[in-house]
Amino acid sequence: MHEDAEQDRTAISLESVVKRYGDHTVINDVSLSVREGEVIAIIGPSGAGKSTLLRCINLLEVPDSGRVTVEGNHVDAGIQISHKDLVRLRRNVGMVFQSFNLFPHMTVLRNISLPQERVLGRSRQEADARSMKLLERVGLADKAQQYPSRCSGGQQQRIAIARALALDPHVMLFDEPTSALDPEVGLEVLAVMRELAAEGMTMVVVTHEMQFAKDVSDRVVVMAEGAILEEGDPADVFTAPTMDRTRQFLRAVLER
Amino acid sequence: MTFFNDWVEYFPDLLGGLGVSLQLTLVTLLMGLPAGLVLALGAGSKNRIVRVVSIGVIEVGRGTPALVVLQLFYFGLPSAGMTLTSFVAASLALAFTTAAYTSEIIRGGLQAVPNGEVEAAHALGMGRGDILRFVVIPQGVRIAIPPLMGFAIMVFQATSLAYTIAMPELMSQAYSIGSITFRYLSILTLAGLMYALITIPASSLSNFVEHRLARHR
Repeated sequence: MHEDAEQDRTAISLESVVKRYGDHTVINDVSLSVREGEVIAIIGPSGAGKSTLLRCINLLEVPDSGRVTVEGNHVDAGIQISHKDLVRLRRNVGMVFQSFNLFPHMTVLRNISLPQERVLGRSRQEADARSMKLLERVGLADKAQQYPSRCSGGQQQRIAIARALALDPHVMLFDEPTSALDPEVGLEVLAVMRELAAEGMTMVVVTHEMQFAKDVSDRVVVMAEGAILEEGDPADVFTAPTMDRTRQFLRAVLER
Repeated sequence: MTFFNDWVEYFPDLLGGLGVSLQLTLVTLLMGLPAGLVLALGAGSKNRIVRVVSIGVIEVGRGTPALVVLQLFYFGLPSAGMTLTSFVAASLALAFTTAAYTSEIIRGGLQAVPNGEVEAAHALGMGRGDILRFVVIPQGVRIAIPPLMGFAIMVFQATSLAYTIAMPELMSQAYSIGSITFRYLSILTLAGLMYALITIPASSLSNFVEHRLARHR
């Protein structure tokens, strides 16, 4: 009973989100709801609006209309969003980018500790202790005093994951986290993500890694041309897609 | 051999002038560079008034020859009831020009910081001020340091303009010795060499710094 209630809690809800760049509509009236602990994989051809939709969740892109709710914090599009609302919403959301985006002028340890100190007000000591724990967890404790440029792409991405996790987010967004990596190196990042999913983190992952989408996600969302084509259990979507466009896309990515 | 005799005789006077030139350079940079950073941030501000005022100051500062600003401060301001010593007038005028020019150099540096890092900082929940302070300014200024050092060398050379407002710097010392002794050729050659004695090592220092700063990229 209690478990059911827990499962049904909504972590993220997008309601009729629209995003335009000039005349071009990138996201066309998309609604999506993600339950607490759910892992969602967003797949689809490039230019479908996958990344833009993800970036609307933490308001790196501000929608032109619609409503974004994360962990009970609403933001309505169309009205001026206050800095306070923005910070409150982002506090629950961690994000990992395709290009890692570590701060190159800081050591690995500073990269992870600085946001904790500035955003959560942790002391240097507390922050460093938490950073080291996370670095150990992603297998990179020995890199703490290095600069990011001395780390491989896969290591940098694991550091970026640690940096986001250090702020204790309830939701993690991944924007093609392995697309900039060699396939082999990508595996070490996917391993960390699998672990995170197994621990019950709510995750939204924009990805071209179909195997990961199949194995790890609870639900696959297929997007094309700014809209959701279909969504459902990965087993169903991958084996029996209902839409022609989905079938065409899956054929292209799976049968290469 | 008169060349060398002149050099030996007048070197101490010129050395005193060189000291004044270096002091003026230092004071100009200490005022001009922070002002340049402020103007660079102002020109990129979200606030329209701040932005327009900053860009206006930059354009005027870059559009007006340093010599005109210098003369205006020294000869013009007394008519408006403000009399400055030649050192104060020279350092303020050159600092104004320095701020205008370096703001563009610094702005270029700030803009060279990858936007992805700024986005990542936003996604982490860091505030605008923190992002400037910890992510953008440290990297942007670092990128701007080599061209700023080049500009500092030009400021040192531009201090010679202060001879027009009777400041006893290197150029004016050379000029007054020349006008008394008519040994312009030897004295101005020595003055030129003394400027080069500072600027050439400074240039190689700036190259060295550029290499050092490229390390973590």
